[in-house]
Amino acid sequence: MTGSPAAQHQLDLVPDALLAGRAADGDTAAFEALARRHGPLMRATARRLTGSLADADDVVQETLVQAWKQLESLRDPAAVKGWLLRIVGSRSIDHLRKRRNHADLGDVENTVDATSPPKNKDPETNAVNSSRIEALKAALAKLPEEQRRCWVLKEFNDQSYEEIALTLNISPASVRGRLARARITLARTMEEWR
Amino acid sequence: MNTTSDTLECGHSLAELSAYLDTGQIADPVHLETCPECQAGLASLRHLSELGRELLSSDVADAGSGTDDWMQSILDNLRLELRPGRSIPLQSGNPNDTLWETEGSISALIRSVADALPGTAAGKCRLHGDVATPGAGITVDVEIAVVYGHPMEERAATLRQELAETLALHTELTIQAINITVTDVLEPPKPASPADPTTPADATTPADPMTKEQP
Repeated sequence: MTGSPAAQHQLDLVPDALLAGRAADGDTAAFEALARRHGPLMRATARRLTGSLADADDVVQETLVQAWKQLESLRDPAAVKGWLLRIVGSRSIDHLRKRRNHADLGDVENTVDATSPPKNKDPETNAVNSSRIEALKAALAKLPEEQRRCWVLKEFNDQSYEEIALTLNISPASVRGRLARARITLARTMEEWR
Repeated sequence: MNTTSDTLECGHSLAELSAYLDTGQIADPVHLETCPECQAGLASLRHLSELGRELLSSDVADAGSGTDDWMQSILDNLRLELRPGRSIPLQSGNPNDTLWETEGSISALIRSVADALPGTAAGKCRLHGDVATPGAGITVDVEIAVVYGHPMEERAATLRQELAETLALHTELTIQAINITVTDVLEPPKPASPADPTTPADATTPADPMTKEQP
């Protein structure tokens, strides 16, 4: 059911809503184009949420399986990106719960940030930027888990308090409180980088 | 933000400012406008948001491209189930044979016809009517996107004609109407593209101006 190779390249240029509509009709090529388009963002948020490179790829895969099954229920095809990110959010939280049950902290090699040395593509201009980013990563890592999840779901996945509340199974008021605590701690830590 | 508690000297809290950033709502907007403490707190939170976006960009860059091997291997593992839709009976020469085609295969056929026209791409398509009953009147709804510079009405008319011919050839459906809706006008590809989108493209190069050169 996939189109010709030319049609696949063509799909890279069409808007999300059209791809989501085709994918809901069963067009696997359109679905794959959506996956490729939003894959890096999905992977990045899953990595930040789970803290594990392997888990993040599992999350992306599970998200795509679920998305394919449920696409027909997506009412606004133009909102497919946010919808995918919400699935990434809840699947990531599932992974964290599973991992806690297995009391498996994972090996350091496989942990986000452990393997990525600061990049030096353009040292002159990037040195300050990248050390600022490294400082934020370190500050995030020190946050209590629940606060970090709220912050990532808000800033990376762009979810509302209500959506975060559903994902984490807590009240919107708790989301508001935890997000504020996370931001206050992070903002204080990052003051010196202004 | 030099305070150690999250309550500012003016009595307002950083938690209120955090919620204000997300919702745009705060109990005392007039105070917020004029209070240096609150403004400093807001500036600090906005600076953090900015850093958050930088971290996101950096993480997305680290995640690699969607055309890389990692995504291909995820896609290879998916084994997406097909969506056959309804079964459409076909006449058979032999009374002992039962022939069917699926609604999904007809959607795919419709998309391939629309995608093959220069400067157009198919979106959703729907067959309305009782496809399981031979001879029942069927209406086809197709959404398409057209690249800017291509004549929409002409494309729609051509597509309607080609769909009528293709469906008559490959199906036994009684098509009563083919409704085509242009849902998107697409930006023409960047100048690097081999074709000039303002000139109607040669119909023998099917994917023409929307084709992007892949590395």
